Amino acid sequence: MKTGRTDLHALGMQAWRGRLALYGAYALIGVIIILLPPFVSADLKSMITKVLIYGIFALSLNLLFGYTGLFSLGHAAFFGVGSYTAAILMMKYGIGNFWLLIAAGLLAATICAAFFGFIVLRVSGIYFLLVSLAIGQLLYSVAIKWRTMTGGINGIAGITYPDIGIPWFTLTSTSFYYLVFIFFVICLFLLYRVVKSPFGHALQGIRGDERRMQCLGYNTWLYKYIAFVVGGLFAGIAGVLAIYQSGVVGPTSLGVLTSTVVMLMVIIGSDRVFLGPVLGAALVVLLGHYSSIYIAERWPMILGGIFVLSVMFLRGGVSIHLVRLWKKVQYRYGST
Amino acid sequence: MEALRIDRLSKNFGGLRVLRDLSLTVEAGEYVAIIGPNGAGKTTLLNVITGELSANTGRLYLFGKDITAMPTHQRVHAGLGRSFQITRLFYDVTALDNISLALQASRPSRYQMFRRAASYSEVFAEAEGLLKAIDLWDKKDELAAGISYGEQRKMEIILALASKPKLLLMDEPTSGLAPAEIDGFIRMVKTLAAGTTLVFAAHDMDVVFDLAHRVIVLYYGQIIAEGTPEQIQGNRKVKEIYLGVEKDAPNAGVS
Repeated sequence: MKTGRTDLHALGMQAWRGRLALYGAYALIGVIIILLPPFVSADLKSMITKVLIYGIFALSLNLLFGYTGLFSLGHAAFFGVGSYTAAILMMKYGIGNFWLLIAAGLLAATICAAFFGFIVLRVSGIYFLLVSLAIGQLLYSVAIKWRTMTGGINGIAGITYPDIGIPWFTLTSTSFYYLVFIFFVICLFLLYRVVKSPFGHALQGIRGDERRMQCLGYNTWLYKYIAFVVGGLFAGIAGVLAIYQSGVVGPTSLGVLTSTVVMLMVIIGSDRVFLGPVLGAALVVLLGHYSSIYIAERWPMILGGIFVLSVMFLRGGVSIHLVRLWKKVQYRYGST
Repeated sequence: MEALRIDRLSKNFGGLRVLRDLSLTVEAGEYVAIIGPNGAGKTTLLNVITGELSANTGRLYLFGKDITAMPTHQRVHAGLGRSFQITRLFYDVTALDNISLALQASRPSRYQMFRRAASYSEVFAEAEGLLKAIDLWDKKDELAAGISYGEQRKMEIILALASKPKLLLMDEPTSGLAPAEIDGFIRMVKTLAAGTTLVFAAHDMDVVFDLAHRVIVLYYGQIIAEGTPEQIQGNRKVKEIYLGVEKDAPNAGVS
């Protein structure tokens, strides 16, 4: 026991020194995000807010996609349920308190994931992909048909910033930016804890060899189910935040289009690096925004091009290549 | 005490009857070898015992407890372990992480979401013990994909033993090992599995005669002979279907 603990500490210290520079880099990015608002256009500020929201969304998908090996093409369903729940409560029922709205959106997304998880996890592999796609499309058609509640194909527009419960304080685009940043940091931290925990390691084991995991004594179905529900919960948080960034919610937010875009974020950014999906979200959101300013309506083609190029030349995602580059630099300058 | 009782077990793949009305009892502490030609149903039998395949008819009892309807992971918690003929490791993580994953499986902390997996010093200490027992401690930080085949085979057994099973099923434990490695491997299994009941499928007769107390001969899903290794060695029927038909050589198939 004693030697075990000493070795563990030695390992920990070594890893810590090696990672100090990396943490420094993350802290620097954090500081830049905090200091940025006064110096950038309202437009870019809104886009960074969107990156952070889609960053949460993409990280939540990656818990299923990269860590568990569940290729969900219906993940937007829970994002959209979060969005619609908050939007309907706010616009139809006049509930303006942000904390109530986010709690309701999160709860609705979680319940939805808990219900659909039973259906979709009856199958695996390509069938999982198809059934998850069907669930997203099912909710998409509900959003179109249930006009009185959802506004049909037009969705719900004119959503304003909610009340965050501080009497003399109303949200502006800048304070909303910081609010989203706080949510992003909290979600990032929680998801990081999850993937580094015994639970998260078990998910990665299931991705590697599910049958072996069963023979080791893991109830793999339950792990996949919990991962699916947790993924849905975080997607729901992103969904609620997204309506205040865009001001609208429409049926596409639930459907295959949104699910595909978030999956592309994960693939382009890398599903094997924890922060990869965030980088993917940043690339897709920012490139999408600026390309549609200059050549509107060509964005889907450009996105397709980026996807093909990243799969051909940066296999495994952009981040994994950045990590390799980082390791090379570390090796060259001997910082171990 | 009986470790395993198989009661009139049948398994069909469509019209193919792979296990036919098979009954078998294994006593606690016994080392039982299952032999038989290719397609005899050895691996299928192991898969049905672990629950990876479900039986069409028949019942299974593990230490007196009916496990017929239990899913695989519950059977493991009831004291069953298994290793595979084709090595199944988690190749994209280190040797140490492989063992830690296997060790966590039998602890309540396996569902823990908010504590770092690497912070469980008791798991680390136990993994250290297991890896040292198979002389792999110095390779603990290497990816499982990067260690040699012989070392991977040792890991295969260690993963199955991590839950401290009372009954260990091994499918061709020495599969693919060089003849020179086999003796050491069997010694390792004997040491590590001390106190465990063993049921293993094997092709290699040296392994069978070295390890087994009792040999079961499976042929087209039925037990056609059973006895001590010496009795099986002398069994004419077994010689004909399994060990070959050199009627004059008393040690046919045995080097």
